[in-house]
Amino acid sequence: MTVLILTCEQDVTADMVVARLDGTGVPVVRLDPADLPGGVALSGEYVHGTFRGHLSAGGRLVSMSALRSVWVRRPGVPATRVAEASAWLTEESTQAFYGMLRSTGARWMNHPDAARRARHKPWQLHLAQRSGLPVPATTITTFPQAARDFAERFPDLVVKPVSGAHPQEPPRAVPTSRVAPETDFSAVAFGPTLLQRRVAKRADIRLTCVGDRLFAARKPVGPDADPDEVDVRFAVSTAPWHPVETPPRIAASVHRYLQDAQLAYGAFDFAEDADGIWWFLECNQSGQFGFVEIETNQPIAGAVADWLSAPGPDPAISNGQLHFTECPG
Amino acid sequence: MRPFALNYARPAQELEASVPYAYDSRLQLNVLPDGRIAAHDYAVLRELGATTSTAGSKTHFDD
Repeated sequence: MTVLILTCEQDVTADMVVARLDGTGVPVVRLDPADLPGGVALSGEYVHGTFRGHLSAGGRLVSMSALRSVWVRRPGVPATRVAEASAWLTEESTQAFYGMLRSTGARWMNHPDAARRARHKPWQLHLAQRSGLPVPATTITTFPQAARDFAERFPDLVVKPVSGAHPQEPPRAVPTSRVAPETDFSAVAFGPTLLQRRVAKRADIRLTCVGDRLFAARKPVGPDADPDEVDVRFAVSTAPWHPVETPPRIAASVHRYLQDAQLAYGAFDFAEDADGIWWFLECNQSGQFGFVEIETNQPIAGAVADWLSAPGPDPAISNGQLHFTECPG
Repeated sequence: MRPFALNYARPAQELEASVPYAYDSRLQLNVLPDGRIAAHDYAVLRELGATTSTAGSKTHFDD
């Protein structure tokens, strides 16, 4: 039974997992849906009451019924690396590719439906509250007056994108940023704006969850840190990440969160305050983990490999076709 | 008419710098010029920031 990894070629974090799997004897097929059609090919039949499909990439051919798991890591958009790309071909290729994969009994990390829902930050905040995680006071609004009222109640605020996406043309980044006192909120009317009470943090926490395994890492805020640099991705810091224990209450809430979100993988960001409380910021359903493993030696790639190579699909779901994987000689 | 959050935008750091490894479709891994697997060379990965959260990425924003 084969592990299917969907990601781009330059994804060296995926390499960390592929290298682990190579030592286990579990067949792996790695491909980028951007190369469909061409470098990636597919075929499927719905005949005599059953589905049988095949994928090929890089000289490897795999039956879809032989897939034990699918890891959606950093896949490109289908049909975007082909000679004559078009929106129509992308839609056709997306439907064919993901539609057929959904027809298999493979386990997903993470299922596309769960992943799409999990990307919504407002829903994340709701689920975090429901799961018992501390969530900083937050508003998302297009009413300037609502923003002013919120700023009166919570004078020390940060602003961040609702989606986490960054604008292009030209490429820009919108880091979580501190909102100065007396800020003019008029422009809130021109786009949904997420304002959140700033957590005076003494450390950033990255909690990487693989199945039911948790890997928490902590990066302390330096004593000379700029208080206006609140986004750990942009802050200049030489402090390393260190492994830490996950408080049992947080662990229970995170498990509840992942279960309700139907996620097999999630990378949670918390801000630790002076009292040691971990405040939920977000859960990245496809968050990076390589930098954490490199600095902490936590075996995250191994945990991902273990999850992916665990026993395959439910036989009742699988279509019972002959399983095979061909690898290049 | 600029949305409020864009008042805090800054130029994105492009991460398209050339990398010292290349994808080997036979191994399904990126390898260094001397044949070693790139993912085993933490010094290279750390230097390139190739495994970190990529704020400003064009294609992925849930890092």
